[in-house]
Order: sequence, then structure tokens, then C-alpha cells
Amino acid sequence: MSIILVIEDDARTASEIEAALIDNGCTVKIAVDGRAGLLEAATGRYDAIVLDRMLPGDLDGLGVLSTLRVAGIHTPVLILSALSAVDERVRGLKAGGDDYLTKPFEFLELTARIDVLVRRQSVAMPETSIRAGDLEADLLTHTVKRAGKLIDLLPREYRLLEYLMRHSGQIVTRTMLFEEVWHYRYDEPTNVIDVHISKLRRKIEATGAATVIRTVRGSGYVLDAPD
Amino acid sequence: MRLIELIHTTSFRLAIAFLVLFAVASGALFAFLSWETRDFLTDRTDEWLLREAGTLSALDDQTIISRLSARESLSAVRERPISLFDPQGHLLAGSTMTLPVYDVNKSNPHNFATKRADERAHFRGLVKRLSSGNTLLIAQDVGELREFNDVLTNAMILGAAVTAALGLLGAAFIGAGSVRQIHTISDVTRNIMSGDLTQRLPVLGGSGDVRRLVKVVNSMLDEIERLMHEVKGVCDNIAHDMRTPLTRMLAGLERARRRAVTADEYADYVDGAIVETQGMLKTFSALLRISEIEDGARRAGFVSVDMRTVISDAVELYEPLAEEREIRLSVDFGEVPVRILGDPSLLFEAVGNLIDNAIKFTPRGGAAKVTLEGHLKRPRLTVEDNGQGIPSQEKELVLKRFHRGEKSRHEPGNGLGLSLVAAIARLHRIDLSFGEQKIGCKIVLEFNHNEQGRALSSDTSLLS
Repeated sequence: MSIILVIEDDARTASEIEAALIDNGCTVKIAVDGRAGLLEAATGRYDAIVLDRMLPGDLDGLGVLSTLRVAGIHTPVLILSALSAVDERVRGLKAGGDDYLTKPFEFLELTARIDVLVRRQSVAMPETSIRAGDLEADLLTHTVKRAGKLIDLLPREYRLLEYLMRHSGQIVTRTMLFEEVWHYRYDEPTNVIDVHISKLRRKIEATGAATVIRTVRGSGYVLDAPD
Repeated sequence: MRLIELIHTTSFRLAIAFLVLFAVASGALFAFLSWETRDFLTDRTDEWLLREAGTLSALDDQTIISRLSARESLSAVRERPISLFDPQGHLLAGSTMTLPVYDVNKSNPHNFATKRADERAHFRGLVKRLSSGNTLLIAQDVGELREFNDVLTNAMILGAAVTAALGLLGAAFIGAGSVRQIHTISDVTRNIMSGDLTQRLPVLGGSGDVRRLVKVVNSMLDEIERLMHEVKGVCDNIAHDMRTPLTRMLAGLERARRRAVTADEYADYVDGAIVETQGMLKTFSALLRISEIEDGARRAGFVSVDMRTVISDAVELYEPLAEEREIRLSVDFGEVPVRILGDPSLLFEAVGNLIDNAIKFTPRGGAAKVTLEGHLKRPRLTVEDNGQGIPSQEKELVLKRFHRGEKSRHEPGNGLGLSLVAAIARLHRIDLSFGEQKIGCKIVLEFNHNEQGRALSSDTSLLS
């Protein structure tokens, strides 16, 4: 179970975030300003930090972040901001942020991204193949087998499936897929991603067994990998 | 109008400055001219004096006397008197002159005053003592020259005075004009500031530069007025597009409150509210994105983008959607690559939106085509389909925010797709237009430059 620190000055937003994260199985601690947040984060016992970009007082989100990084604390940080301009995002990531989410956001998007951040922290081994349930991806040849049977995939479909497999059991949103698989960025990818997913699904199902990619209501997907 | 205000105007000061400059320049010119003229005349006089002196001193006294007597009958003699005096200073022959009183042996030409007959006059001349002991006086009357000089000086002073007066008057006139103009401009500006955006600065006669400035300001006001109208239009549209889902949501929630009994029923109403809210969030963030793009700050992060990559990525993204709708989606990249400075994500979004629209508004079995023409002077990207097309009277409107064609009301979307494309095109200084076509819709993006072409031409210039 991951422990998440939420640094957010608006009490209602903070408690909504807390509720969403608790539903997602996390333990949450809330700090209401930069100073309190920094002190809390400095303990280093958190798996991830949700940081509001604009905080009251003399220490704003970016200040907290850069102080943390200077102090050698590398807890993954997701920045929340009402500022959507692209240079704001770049500035946030440069200051040491790991991800950036613009308000208003869907809580599914937030929890999915937090999951990815926490997980990224724990696995970082060089590997040549990954497994998820009965799927096995060969990272060198870019092929995927299901129960030993090769699935015929286009390059993009392979990348899509590989990303889902890397995050099997976690929710990934359309926006995340679009960023990680297509490498373009915008906040509102159309539902065209769904079409890609259903195509991919059909190919996986063609091997006989039931689907493993589950749609999460809202805008996400999960690759189920029963162990 | 107060005098102090007049003096402080730029045009008055400029006029005065030019006046002073003109006075100095013409004074210098006059001095130079009169000096040169005098020099020239003196030279000529001296030349004559020396020549006469040389000729006459070579002769004996009798010959001189007879020559001078013969000369007396000529009319020119009054202007150029020549006389011969005995050692005591008595006139022997020639013009009735008095020998200047000073030491007489000055054989170089010089200015002096002496009596001609009984009248005193100014001369330039020389006095030469001959070997016989007699003295020869050769002179040129310079009275006329002096008079001329005086007249010229007087004329110049008078001219300067008149010019100064006229100049001052002119400066005051121009200054007053500009003060008046500034007054009108500030009055109108105050009116505009207080909210009457329909007013424009008056384009007066005035000097060309003020006129030009006024024109620029007026076109700025046009732009501001247009933007204000657009903002108002957007607000109205937002109000409309937000009110509808808000009303639906409110009604749903109220109904839930009144009617719902079981948890499932509540869940249904909540789901309905969630869907409405998500829709509103999407509309809202699309709007924010448009204004962010229009802000132009994004240009700072422009990089060189290969349009072929962007297009093939976008086509690849939409291919499955086209397949699902049984629409033939084809691409023609042309021979020449197109590279432009831009934001890859935004360009992708623009191309993606165009393809999305083409697919959305084309019936099953139709075709959509993306063409890139890099060989043209202005590279061109065309996205066309053979769907229902856009009625010509709606073409301008669809580029505006929120407009959705009547036919497309039933299609999902927030009506911001094409205006987003238009905003992205504006940011990249790409011209967006509708191609003429009987069936379907054809949208043409014309790029202003081709990085590739520029790179190539600079390469060749390095080689040559």
C-alpha cells in the first residue's frame, strides 16, 4: 500500500483527492501550505507527492519542489496546476516534477498517474521480456505471444500492448496512452484511442481466450493479469 | 490655446530649430559669396592697375602727358582716373585728382580715399614714382562696389527679418495645428477609454507621420473592437453551451432527489451528472486551449517539424477509425519533404482534427484524402473528403469558436474542432482556406515557408 502526500491549499479539493486516493488503496496525508508540505515531505516516507502549483504564502509549489530536490529527496512528484500554458508544464518538469496535470482533471487520471509514478519507483531492472498473465512480450524482437501463440501486431499495436503490459493491473488513461505511445501531447485525445484498443483486443481474442483489456468507466483501461 | 503649450509642441520646436539652422546656413552662404565676389573684383582691378603702371612707367613723361590728355576725352576716365604729378604734388596731366596725403611711394595696389575734383571718393589704386621724379597715380573708383555691398547687406538683413517672421508664424501655425490635433485625439481617446469603442481618431490633414500613426491606431482599434465582439460572442456561446448541460444536470439531480428510491437509481442519476460534467470540462479545456494557442507565447518553443512524420502519425492514428466506418483514407506525400518551424503536438492536433472531421462527415463507403505538396513555392497540405461538405454560407462561421453546422448537430463534438485548427494555423502563420469542390469538403493549409527548401538553398550558397 502506497503512502501519498497531498500538498494542496484548497480544503475541499484536498479532501476529494484524499478520497479518490483512499479508494485507490493509498494512505494519504494532507498538508495545506508549502512550509508544512516541505517539512512532511522531508521525512522521506512517502511513495509519491501530489503538489499544487500555486500555494499561499512565500513558498509555492515549484519552491517546495526545488527545495526537495536540492535536499536530495527524490520522491516522485505529480504537479497539479490551473496554469495550462505549455511553458508552465515545462517549468514544472524542469524543477524536478515527474508528471504534470492541469486542473480541472478527472480523478481517474490522477490516481492512474500516481499508480504509474509509484510503480516506476519500484521496478527499474533491465529486461528483455515482460510477462503479464498469459501474455509475453519480447522487448528485442517486438513480438507478443499469448500462451505461446504469436499475435500478429502492427508496430504501434505492439507499443500499445507493451505499455499496457508494463502497467498491468493499473489503470492507464487515454491521455497517458496518447503521450506514451504516440509521443504527442494534448489534453483531449479523441475517442479514436478506443478504436485502437478494440482492434488490439480483437487480435488478442483471436488467439482464443477471453479479452484481458478491460475498459474502466471514464476514460481508462486496465490490462488484467491474473497471477 | 496657451503660448506655453504651443512652445512645447514638437512641431513648433522643430520649426524653430529649422529656422535657426536655415539662418546660420544662409548667413554663411551670403558671407562666402560676398567675400568671393569682392576677391574676384579686387583681383581684376589689381591686374589692370599693375598692367597700366607697367605700361606707363616704361614711357617718358611727354608721351605719358600726351596719352593722358588723349584719354581724358573717354567716358571711362571718371571710373578709372590716371594722373601725373610733379615732385611737388601739382597735377601735370590726366584726371583732376589730389594725390593722397600719405607717403606716396606705394607701388602695390591698396585702398585709399582722396579728392576727385573737389569731391571725396574711395579708390583702389597705386602711386608710382617715375625715374623723372614725377608721380603717377592710377586708381579705380570703388564707390559703386561699396554701395552695392551696402545694398546687399541691407537686403540680406531685411530678407532675414522677413524670413524669421514668416518662419515664426509658420511654426506657430503648425504648432497650433498639432496642438489642435492632439486635443482632438486625446478627447476621442478619452471617449474610447470610457467605453465607446465605435469611435475612431479623426484622420486630419496634418503631417504625414501623424496621419500614419492615426491610421495605425485606428486599425488597432478595429482589431480591439473585433476581439471584444468575439469575446462577447464567445461568452454568449459559452453561456449557451454550458447552460444546456447545466440545466440537464440540475433537472436530473432534482429528479433524483424527488423520485429515486434505490441505490441503483441514484447511481444512474449520478452517472448522468458525471457525463454532463465531463462534457462541460472538455468544452471548457478546449476553449482554454484555443486561447492559450492564440496567445502566441507558444511560438517560443517552436522546433523544426517534418510534416510527413506528423501526417503519417495522424493518419496512422485515424486509420482504424476510418476502417471501422468503411472510409478509404489515403495519403499522398509528394516528392519534396516539407519542414516547418512549429509545435509538433499542435500540428499533429490540427492534422488529426481535419482527418477526424473528414471521417466524421463522410458517409460509409466514402473516401478521404490527405495530400502534401512540397514542390510548391508555398507548400500545401490538403485534406479532402467526398462527404456532405460545408455550405458556402457556413464556411466562415465554422472557423469561429463553437459554431457547429446545422447538419452536424447530431454528431458528437463540442464544435471547437475547426476553430482549434484555425487557431493553430494562425499561430504557425499558416493560411487556412476552403477549396472549391462540388462534393464534400476540402480544406487547404498553405505554409509560409519550407525549412527543407531553405536549408537546401543555404547549402548551395555555401558551396558556390
